[in-house]
Amino acid sequence: MKTPRRTTALLGIAAAVLLATTACSGGLLGGDSEPDGEAEAGPIKIGMVIPISGSSAPTGAYMENGAQLAVNEINDAGGILDGRMLELLVEDEACDAQQGVASANKLVSSEVVVSVGGYCSGATLPQLPIFGGANVPMIIPAANSQDLVREGLDNVFLINGTGLQQSTAALDFITKSGYTMVALVDDNTSYSTDITTETESQITEDGTAEVVLNTSVNAGESDYSAVVRDITGSGAEIVYWTGYYQEGGLIVDQLRQAGYTGDIMVADGSADATLAEIAGDAAEGVFATMTPTPDTLEGAEEWIANYEAEFDAAPGPYSTQSYDAVRLAAEAIETAGSTDGDEIIAALEGISGFDMFSGPLEFTDEHTLSNGGFVILKMEGGKFILEDSLS
Amino acid sequence: MSQIIWDGLFVGSFYALIALGYSMVYGIIKLLNFAHGDLYMLGAFIGFAVLASFGGLATSLGLFALIIVMMLSMVITGTVGVVIERLAYRPLRGAPRLAVLITAVGASFTLEYGIAAIAGPNPRGFPIRLTGDVFLVLGARVTLPQIVLMIIAGLLMIALDTYIRRTSTGRAMRAISLDMKGALLMGVNVNAVISRTFFIGSALAGAAGVMAGAYYGKIDFLMGFIIGLKAFTAAVIGGIGNIRGAMLGGLVLGLIEAFGSELVGGQWRDAFAFAVLILFLTLRPTGILGERVTERV
Repeated sequence: MKTPRRTTALLGIAAAVLLATTACSGGLLGGDSEPDGEAEAGPIKIGMVIPISGSSAPTGAYMENGAQLAVNEINDAGGILDGRMLELLVEDEACDAQQGVASANKLVSSEVVVSVGGYCSGATLPQLPIFGGANVPMIIPAANSQDLVREGLDNVFLINGTGLQQSTAALDFITKSGYTMVALVDDNTSYSTDITTETESQITEDGTAEVVLNTSVNAGESDYSAVVRDITGSGAEIVYWTGYYQEGGLIVDQLRQAGYTGDIMVADGSADATLAEIAGDAAEGVFATMTPTPDTLEGAEEWIANYEAEFDAAPGPYSTQSYDAVRLAAEAIETAGSTDGDEIIAALEGISGFDMFSGPLEFTDEHTLSNGGFVILKMEGGKFILEDSLS
Repeated sequence: MSQIIWDGLFVGSFYALIALGYSMVYGIIKLLNFAHGDLYMLGAFIGFAVLASFGGLATSLGLFALIIVMMLSMVITGTVGVVIERLAYRPLRGAPRLAVLITAVGASFTLEYGIAAIAGPNPRGFPIRLTGDVFLVLGARVTLPQIVLMIIAGLLMIALDTYIRRTSTGRAMRAISLDMKGALLMGVNVNAVISRTFFIGSALAGAAGVMAGAYYGKIDFLMGFIIGLKAFTAAVIGGIGNIRGAMLGGLVLGLIEAFGSELVGGQWRDAFAFAVLILFLTLRPTGILGERVTERV
């Protein structure tokens, strides 16, 4: 009896000592171990938390490539701040809040200067205080829930249109096309409910159309017959699905199988070719509210060619925004003349007319784009093409 | 109304097919096989791999190819089920029930993340899509694929029911479920019969997986989790350990869900289904067809 108990006690003490020392080395030794001179001359680290695993992993790959392309171009041109190279550090968020927090912490402890990640709003939201606490400016290329804006943090900049701007685009298209009865369906995530809430209040305010159904589904199921029955029974002329494509594909398919003949529109989380892979022929003619993708942009041919040469694949959604996020970060660091968080934030706030895929950049007081740049796409032959630029 | 009933029955027949394997395994060795839903997922992925490797040839054959692929997938998932029993459950047969239950959860995660590691974590579109005519039956829209899939499910269930009632293996299964030691003393090869039970149950789950892939068009490595729990719920509703109970329980659960989501909204579907599970466990733990069994001392 004696020996095991003593062993446990010893083990406990050993564990406590180990924990204490590692905690110290992270907090105190970590900062001292790197001589100042080396930090000044070494590569400038840019962090990126994106979905590498999980259901949104394909988009994460596009984002990483887009960011890497910008890093390569900047490094080939001689780097920034008198020849310092950029280094992209990528971590997984898996569209999961806990994973996102762990990855953000990891990046902060590897001393990134700027963060250019953020895809799932639900996973990005809890990262804000972590990067904020470390005074790391965040340039968020994709996540666009109004929740991110509502936090009102100084270090957060959104270069994708927001949920509010997306719902404005949806309303524009709805009124323009003369639909009068609209059904809104979300998947209960922050990103998705944000768009349906904003769309419903805007449609109600506008008054030309009416929301006949606003409902939610559980993500991760196969059978959506309940919501399909609700939609067909509601008399809606257009359904606006604001969740991601894996459920979107099933809902589109099941709606058509149930004989729904109205139009279907999806939000940017579903604007992906995988939607057609899941829904098959039913996806034909589906509209999407989306910020421009490379293949719908005019004058992006050279950029697409560079991308294809580099990664041997076609660029997908959010590769342009990620590319722009890195370029914007580099521009801000160069303007600030420093890697200090406060100075970069000041530089970002002062930026005016910086040329991006979505147009010349101006930030609003809320650190969102002054112009969301949303367009309407339409699925034809398994691919989304530009239907209406809404301008 | 008739649309709700039809939708419920259709989903219910999937639940029933998977609940059968759950119920059989529980009936014979009193184990809640939490890996069962993941065998459904495995079946879908095997179907996907086979169809993808044959490419356009298989997709052009449509339903015929699907049935061949389904049979192949049944054999493989059945074998995997036997292997899981042999490696993970049999060594623990004398152990407390809780230990085996936790092993089953472990087997479930092993299957899920094993497939995620091999096939990648992204959802896949299934290569064959069942499409067909639409009939209006009493105001409900019924599609040809739905009818075909329900007929396949029905045939599989009838075959199983006959097998258990008419063959010597079936008799041995029933004997073991009543009294394993007694059956052993009467010369029944208990291990062989349990292996066969796992084979049949897992094969049925694999068949359901292929059918779901072809009907819904999307498969992913976590697709077995919720449906595994639903099948468990169906088995409890029908009377766990009872084969006909599992079939009935599946259909009843499908209907309960369909009416429930009509009543309170689609996002409440799962909450509703599992509330029914809790209700049954408290009020009638033996299920609809189960009998009250007094513990023998």
